[in-house]
Amino acid sequence: MRTYILRRLLLMIPTFFGISLLIFLVLNLAPGRPGKQSESADVVSNARGEATSESFKLFREQFNLDKPVLFNTRFLLTTDELRHQLEVAGQVVPATIQERMALQEQLEDLGSYAVPHLMQVMSDADRAGQGALRDTAAYFLRLNAPRRLIDPYNPAPAPEVRAYNDSVSSERSRLSRLRYAFEAPESEKHEVILAWQRWYEEVRERFQYSGPQKLRIFFLDTRFATYWSNLLRLNFGVSLATREPVLSTLASKLRYSLSLSVVSLLLAYAISIPLGILSAVRRGTLGDRALTTVLFMLYSLPSFFVATLLLYFISEGSNWPALRWFPTGGFQSPGFEDLTTFGKIADVAWHLVLPIGCLTYGSLAALSRYMRTGLLEVIQSDYIRTARAKGLPESLVIGKHALRNGLLPILTLLSELLPAVLGGSVIIEYIFGIPGIGQWTVESIYQRDYNVIMGVQLLSTILVLLGILLTDISYALVDPRIRYH
Amino acid sequence: MANAALETSGTPPTAPETAGAPGAPDAPALAQGRAVLRRLARNRIALWGLYAVIGLVLVATGAPLFALNQPFYWNVGHGAEFPWLRALFNRLLFENSVDILFNLLLVTVPLAALALAVRRRLYPSWSAARVVGRYFALLGILFLSSSVSSVGSWENPLHFTEKVVNYRLERERLIGEGHPPLAWFPPLPYSYRETSPTRSLEPPNRTHWLGTDTEGRDVFCRMLYGTRISLTIGVVAVAIYVSIGVALGALAGYFGGWVDLLVSRLIEVMITFPSFFLILTLAALIEQRSIFHVMLIIGLTRWTGVARLVRAEFLRQKSLDYVQAALAMGFRPARVIFLHILPNAIAPALVSATFGIASAILIESSLSFLGVGDLSVASWGETLNTGRVQQKLWLVLAPGAAIFFVVTVFNLLGEGIRDALDPKLRV
Repeated sequence: MRTYILRRLLLMIPTFFGISLLIFLVLNLAPGRPGKQSESADVVSNARGEATSESFKLFREQFNLDKPVLFNTRFLLTTDELRHQLEVAGQVVPATIQERMALQEQLEDLGSYAVPHLMQVMSDADRAGQGALRDTAAYFLRLNAPRRLIDPYNPAPAPEVRAYNDSVSSERSRLSRLRYAFEAPESEKHEVILAWQRWYEEVRERFQYSGPQKLRIFFLDTRFATYWSNLLRLNFGVSLATREPVLSTLASKLRYSLSLSVVSLLLAYAISIPLGILSAVRRGTLGDRALTTVLFMLYSLPSFFVATLLLYFISEGSNWPALRWFPTGGFQSPGFEDLTTFGKIADVAWHLVLPIGCLTYGSLAALSRYMRTGLLEVIQSDYIRTARAKGLPESLVIGKHALRNGLLPILTLLSELLPAVLGGSVIIEYIFGIPGIGQWTVESIYQRDYNVIMGVQLLSTILVLLGILLTDISYALVDPRIRYH
Repeated sequence: MANAALETSGTPPTAPETAGAPGAPDAPALAQGRAVLRRLARNRIALWGLYAVIGLVLVATGAPLFALNQPFYWNVGHGAEFPWLRALFNRLLFENSVDILFNLLLVTVPLAALALAVRRRLYPSWSAARVVGRYFALLGILFLSSSVSSVGSWENPLHFTEKVVNYRLERERLIGEGHPPLAWFPPLPYSYRETSPTRSLEPPNRTHWLGTDTEGRDVFCRMLYGTRISLTIGVVAVAIYVSIGVALGALAGYFGGWVDLLVSRLIEVMITFPSFFLILTLAALIEQRSIFHVMLIIGLTRWTGVARLVRAEFLRQKSLDYVQAALAMGFRPARVIFLHILPNAIAPALVSATFGIASAILIESSLSFLGVGDLSVASWGETLNTGRVQQKLWLVLAPGAAIFFVVTVFNLLGEGIRDALDPKLRV
């Protein structure tokens, strides 16, 4: 058993990896990006635009949005390609505003990979007297040459990290002085360019990559690799909207969502197993058919419709004072902290009656139907006839002999129900204003908060994987014929 | 089923000629189809479901007959005009392609019915299936060609855009001036996108049978046209995912080995994923999403069930004699997969597809309820959310009941088809 669980856990790793890849690709390749640059940052003149583009760059760097998604081929860049891009971006050749802005952003994202080529273009243009091209190259050089700080928001970094960051900062301050206004006289511009060349001679080997280094860059200097290396350290990043770590917020919101979905699942099983048994035993009677019909209707009723109706009629917002039975939403009452333990439980339960009801009723039909079918199949088997022939009471035959095998079909359903319940809780939490993961997801999706969306989806994937594992284990417990080796 | 399968291969020359032309690969499938239809016809509840679906299609197609602010006939003194017919294909009035498609159906279905009726006399050699096939091909070509606004510098003459005149307001104005026009309007002279701030949030009354929403749009009208959206979403999304699921499932089940491994992994990944999260994320991330994005998203995320069913069926059928016989005949794998095994393996996928239509409709209405649907179309979920926010019962009940009805109908039909396809599955 233990080896089986271990093997299943190991098998989950590729699945989990696949899912994370899938979500990651979806999020990163979808059109529309977070923190979109709204101002038209024109390279050539706009000082204010420069400031916005600086903070925008920081933002993109912090969330690794400047890196390529899956594979990094930027070391293959050639000087000619770059020169062409610079000519477009710097208005040397005519282009539309959109093209130019896209290229400017692309050039900024190139980071240090562009530095040697920028140096080359700048020196060439300086010699050939192409002023505009040289100025553009110098502009992007100043944006792309500074190295990045490691872990800049950590108050107590390791000594070697601190030493590295100190050297980076001093270099940054040195490089930030290497700028000139576009109206500056040629001689001043020339000074700055000479300073750039001196700097480049000092650090030239930083931009030359060996074979293994290129391989490393190709696979590892990418958004996906960075995200995964953070994941391995349980670092889900911070929310783009609130700047709070995703993991801790996730943990604090999990209790709302889990209490909702776990109770709902347990309730669904607790109700539908007896219902299924009942309709299997009384097969073909009026009661059986009525039950099937009612459950079928419930199955087709959209939960958001029922939730809205319930809120309209029997919540505190109801027009009829006599029907104001339940709160209109939320997880607990305002004075929650002052209540006794029992009072707290009662308060939460009072708040959760409607949401859990709405989340549960839809799964009853499928579950009880499967229960009924499974039991009916078992009842026709030989060993049940034997049990009856032995003279066992019917309650024992059904309740003990048949039930154990009849439970198998609905156990398998658990692994399908769990994603459904998690997905369904999104809409229920939204309607009832429960501050759980579902509501958070909807908010983050509206705000394009990628780290949160990733985190939530990975977490729900883990929950589902665990649910599947649980199903398999309970299978083994119920059915002794299943051997795991 | 195995019997029919044997005949499908068409190999033994002595194969009993059960139905249709001998040797035609689809003949036994037709026989099977007839048996299924017979069983379906005996299932009363499923029949109701089928009639209701047909009714829904009729309502969706005929929506402009009931509700449009353009009169069938209009005469202000200088000759008869027929604005309704012109308006049907006006892109400024019916912005959405779904509406154009249904309007094309509305205009051409009577013609097609006529063609079917006179076919026997004029073209006795044409089968009914051929006429219907030609009709749908023509419909598709017309629809596609009318969807293109221009080819290069050429204005497409099939792409109608014309300034929309609100004839109802025009008539009111003319009546006010004292010379009322001769006009014959649909029973509900409103368009589903026609807003009016003066009549917002009216409860149901004689002119607005189901009231109006916050922007003063007629709710009954939106319910009618919403049928089109729901049906299209259901059918197209399911068609997309059934195609994906059948293709992948067939490949995995037939070839096995690493193909199977790959597909099974992919299925596992997609199943583990709470698909509503994925659909919601995808839908929300697309800027300027249209109803077709929603269909595509649902189609791309929900194919796993079909793929699993088809794969299992292929695994089972692969070792049967008729497949071996077909292979021994030297048929290419593509032929064996699609003409021999697939007809025998498709049944469970079809049942799942019928239920899938119901769930696709439910997903779309959930999305528009959350505000990430296509805002330009008359979606039931959107109206329901308005009702929830505004606390207006008529805005909740009408779309809720509509969604409930459509979902129930497709679920009933699914049950019926399942029972008819395989009586053994009946529970």
